[in-house]
Amino acid sequence: MYIDPTAGSLMLQVLAAAALSAVAMFSRLREVLKHFFRSLLPRRWAQKR
Amino acid sequence: MGAEALGASYRDPSGFVYTRDGALYRQVNRVFEGHYKAFLDSGLYAELVEGRLLVPHREVSLDLAASPEAVAVLEPERVPFISYPYEWSFGQLRDAALLTLDLQERALARGLTLRDASAYNVQFVGGRPLFIDTLSFEPREPGAPWAGYRQFCEHFLVPLVLMSRVDVRLSALLRSHLEGIPLDLGSRLLPRGTWLRPGLLFHVHLHAMAQRRYADRGSGAEGRGEPSAATRRGVSPAAATGLVRSLRGAVQSLDWTPAGTEWADYTADNNYSNAAADSKRQAVIEFLRGLEARTAWDLGANTGEYSRAARQVVPSVIAFDIDPAAVERNYRRVKTENETGILPLLLDLTNPSPALGWAHRERQSLEERGPTDVLLALAVVHHLAIGHNLPLERVAGFLARVGRSLIIEFVPKSDSQVRRLLRDRADIFPDYTREGFEAAFRGHFRIERAVPVAESERTLYLMTALPWQDT
Repeated sequence: MYIDPTAGSLMLQVLAAAALSAVAMFSRLREVLKHFFRSLLPRRWAQKR
Repeated sequence: MGAEALGASYRDPSGFVYTRDGALYRQVNRVFEGHYKAFLDSGLYAELVEGRLLVPHREVSLDLAASPEAVAVLEPERVPFISYPYEWSFGQLRDAALLTLDLQERALARGLTLRDASAYNVQFVGGRPLFIDTLSFEPREPGAPWAGYRQFCEHFLVPLVLMSRVDVRLSALLRSHLEGIPLDLGSRLLPRGTWLRPGLLFHVHLHAMAQRRYADRGSGAEGRGEPSAATRRGVSPAAATGLVRSLRGAVQSLDWTPAGTEWADYTADNNYSNAAADSKRQAVIEFLRGLEARTAWDLGANTGEYSRAARQVVPSVIAFDIDPAAVERNYRRVKTENETGILPLLLDLTNPSPALGWAHRERQSLEERGPTDVLLALAVVHHLAIGHNLPLERVAGFLARVGRSLIIEFVPKSDSQVRRLLRDRADIFPDYTREGFEAAFRGHFRIERAVPVAESERTLYLMTALPWQDT
């Protein structure tokens, strides 16, 4: 059936999607930074950790 | 004989359901041809039918179409009894909600989406929820939000939260709000504590606020009705799936435990001896064996003890009761024991489901869904006649319109249950005697048999409705 999804519902989903994307982006960024700084450490230290 | 569209099937231009020569068909219109083909080609139809999640159909000749716009005619497997969300228990509504979310997640995985999320798209067949609207699936436009999100919240989530967190009887709001309980009403009725639950905060309270905030803007850019860039491309497939999972989490977190109510405890707390209960059960089964009935309605079924006795003889039994706790317990037992022939439903016999919706034709009254082959009215008539002042003649008239045969128990005034009803009120029921009962029912039924229930003063009758029951 064709229903009126209403603007509020659509906007809320878009905002939620944006928030989820931001969370995903920051967690990805965190992983990248973590990987980068680990690569700076001497290999032996990294192995100990 | 011509095609006759179903009263509830006219809003959707993609197709509609109709009957022809007693058979049920669904027409797919040209405008929806591509979407329907995409649904079949995706493999989702086959997956859902195999899992008994969607009603199966077979394509039949276009000669059976109801109008020239048809590109396909489907003959779906018939649902034995159509029930409505306002007749379901908490667990039934919750299972229907979870089925809808399951379907949406499976659809998203195949690049499709549900166009709507109406609770009326679900029916209970064989003890399980079954989706019946084959034309609800369409390809998902990349980035598009879920059009059925608001409808899901108003048809399922809000009623479930109200039943779980405020009062289970609030499911009755679904009878006055056929389009679902409005988000703002639900938000206002819910206790403040629900603002602390992330799922409910987002899907109910913030959702209601967003509706108010954007109410005047329309869903398109600058309110012109065109989708804005944000709403066109704003939701990735992962986010769409995340929304469904979040809704599932919110639904699964809701529970309602049927506490000991008068009716839910009735089977354990009545005045029958074991011998009386056995005698009654055997008499019911014996009466049913002579009827060759295909369907039975058990009125005042409680948790379904006699519905199960009837099920030994009758393939399909609808177990109606007024008490949400009794219906919930009955449904849980149906689920636990995989019982396929019993459908528990909520029904106030003194105010049965009326015809509702546009022109009184969208949702059928209980009477329109009958008559059933046989009615069971065990230990019910004294509640109607004495508890609700309903004259026996009127009780008989209604029962004769909804059932072809009747198995009914007469409980005399000397019985402790009737004495309890009369304890705090004047006895204004001089005609409530066995003779008065038989005289009232003879106006609408032929009394076939009457047998006493052992170790009690009760009598069990088998009656056949007289043919002129249209008044």
